Amino acid sequence: MSDTNALVTVEHLEKKFPISSGLFKKSNSFIHAVDNINFEIQAGSSLGLVGESGCGKTTTGKLVTRLYEPSDGHIFINDPEMGQVDLASLSGRSLKAFRKQVQIIFQDPYESLNPRRTIFDTVAEPLVVQGLGNIAEREEWVADLLEEVGLTPAKSFLFRYPHELSGGQRQRVAIARALIINPSFIVADEPTSMLDVSIRIGVMQLMIELAQKMGVSYLYITHDLAVARYMCQRIAVMYIGKIIEKAETEELLMNPLHPYTQALISAVPIPDPTFQRAAIPIKGGVSAPIDPPDQCRFYPRCPRADDFCKNNPHPPLEDKGDGHFVACYKV
Amino acid sequence: MTIKMLSVKDLTMHYTTSRGEVSAVNNVSFEIEKGQSLGLVGESGCGKTSIAFSLIRLLPDNAQIKNGEIILDNENITAMNKKQLLQVRWKGISMVFQAAMNALNPIFSVGDQIVEAIQAHNSDINIKNARVKVAELFTLVGLDPQLMDRYPHELSGGMRQRAVIAMALSCNPKLIIADEPTTALDVIVQDRILNQLKEIQKRLDMSMIYISHDIAVIAEVSDRIGVMYAGRMAELADAKTVFNAPIHPYTYALLGAFPSIKGKKRVLTTLPGEPPDLLNPPSGCRFHPRCPRATSQCQQEAPPFVEHKPDHFAACWHPMEVKNV
Repeated sequence: MSDTNALVTVEHLEKKFPISSGLFKKSNSFIHAVDNINFEIQAGSSLGLVGESGCGKTTTGKLVTRLYEPSDGHIFINDPEMGQVDLASLSGRSLKAFRKQVQIIFQDPYESLNPRRTIFDTVAEPLVVQGLGNIAEREEWVADLLEEVGLTPAKSFLFRYPHELSGGQRQRVAIARALIINPSFIVADEPTSMLDVSIRIGVMQLMIELAQKMGVSYLYITHDLAVARYMCQRIAVMYIGKIIEKAETEELLMNPLHPYTQALISAVPIPDPTFQRAAIPIKGGVSAPIDPPDQCRFYPRCPRADDFCKNNPHPPLEDKGDGHFVACYKV
Repeated sequence: MTIKMLSVKDLTMHYTTSRGEVSAVNNVSFEIEKGQSLGLVGESGCGKTSIAFSLIRLLPDNAQIKNGEIILDNENITAMNKKQLLQVRWKGISMVFQAAMNALNPIFSVGDQIVEAIQAHNSDINIKNARVKVAELFTLVGLDPQLMDRYPHELSGGMRQRAVIAMALSCNPKLIIADEPTTALDVIVQDRILNQLKEIQKRLDMSMIYISHDIAVIAEVSDRIGVMYAGRMAELADAKTVFNAPIHPYTYALLGAFPSIKGKKRVLTTLPGEPPDLLNPPSGCRFHPRCPRATSQCQQEAPPFVEHKPDHFAACWHPMEVKNV
């Protein structure tokens, strides 16, 4: 382990999904959704995981919360009492107990809340699962937290159902559910991408405030670099299952080194009608990560690629100074 | 000299639902010149898509145009019967929808679908010539003409959206309405489609209405911008003016709430409250419950949509002072 103080340390994390063809047939091909990735998250700091659809960012989120079983690798979480614990090695009761530390917020608040349960039941569920508090205490805790997430007066929300709430309010309920057992780490998978602009900033600011107040760090998964800029201290860019660049947020946006990151950044529309964006040099589209050849994943689209890139394995993620890591032979 | 292509005057449209009348579009007026692109921006439910469907009169049964006039190139669309409307759709106004997969029929090849559209509007063209036309359109939108015999599921999201754009262009429309055509796409693909659409629109000297919730995308494609709120046009001016010198507090708030990756990291501002329920819209100015400048006048009377400065329209009793930039 490179850093024992980090809150979360992910090492060589991998997830392969078998492609089975027909009943009883053994599968010979795999989708390499997440392919040997490494990252760290310091306490009180958030990491943005950005990339296009299908790059493996959501799979990563589900792996570090153990909603998916990793094919390989480690997920170390720094527990105040037990020190570094590898979440990937836990199962059964010990895994369930560890869920106190790690929670998740999903993208779609219309799907992630059970329509037949009241707000109180939904937010209190983690307490029930972990066996914390009695009914009176739970009600008090939930009401307090609803106030914190801006659902005021909390009493009027406790026994309502999700369909009575707007999208922004529902996402606040989802945030309250994730926070109710005081986790140290939350995976937030596009939590604001379904919300309207005027609502979105409120939810983003709430998440930042609560993180500071309750000492939570986020793995913030998003396709939107502008949102990641506001939410995260560091950003990691994924491309077909690999992290190809990671750095401090402003450093990454101002000084991107990987040709893919450069293309991604110059493709983001700028809210300024006089701004002329540079043309994007990359060609083609994202290929499916089915048994990818052992070369740079970006090779087929890269404007800088040459024979060296073609004949060598995917480049390692190397530190180019000040914690700016990039996986490219041509930097 | 500019030629007026579309003129919408006092358009009001309601949906009748089991819970009452939804005032989806309320007294909206705007004009578009030939070769000009108008961006309509606003949050969900603000009426931007309802306007688009009103323009081609492709409304569901429970929708009713209560008032107003839509004139396309000197023809009154609001007064047309079904047969005349069939002629206007595709040839006069064509539309690119958000979900390209739903706009294409999965059991026909994309080329055949475009051929069908061409033949439906030009009875004298044979299949061979129509296919030549499709191949030209494919090249125009940056698709390999060989893809025309593929089925929709064989194409990627970006390719499908290009095919839909090719289809929208197939009958040389005077006006193309693009309703969030890139919202479901990744940024790099979005960038290509936006560039292509902009280029085609300028090259063919077509008029365009581009609808989006994303002001950054709107900034890229629009000559003029209309900002909508709760079924009404809040502000309308040329793109630079809307971004640099907005006078409606909602426009100002919308711009302040938008994160950007360029420039210094600004403090983002947020609006209190939620967009109104149009079954029961707020009295007076529909923005007043969330507006920092609201007074009792705003609660009582809806502000008229008027020209506050040359070619700069807004509906507000207390417009912001324009800073000289």
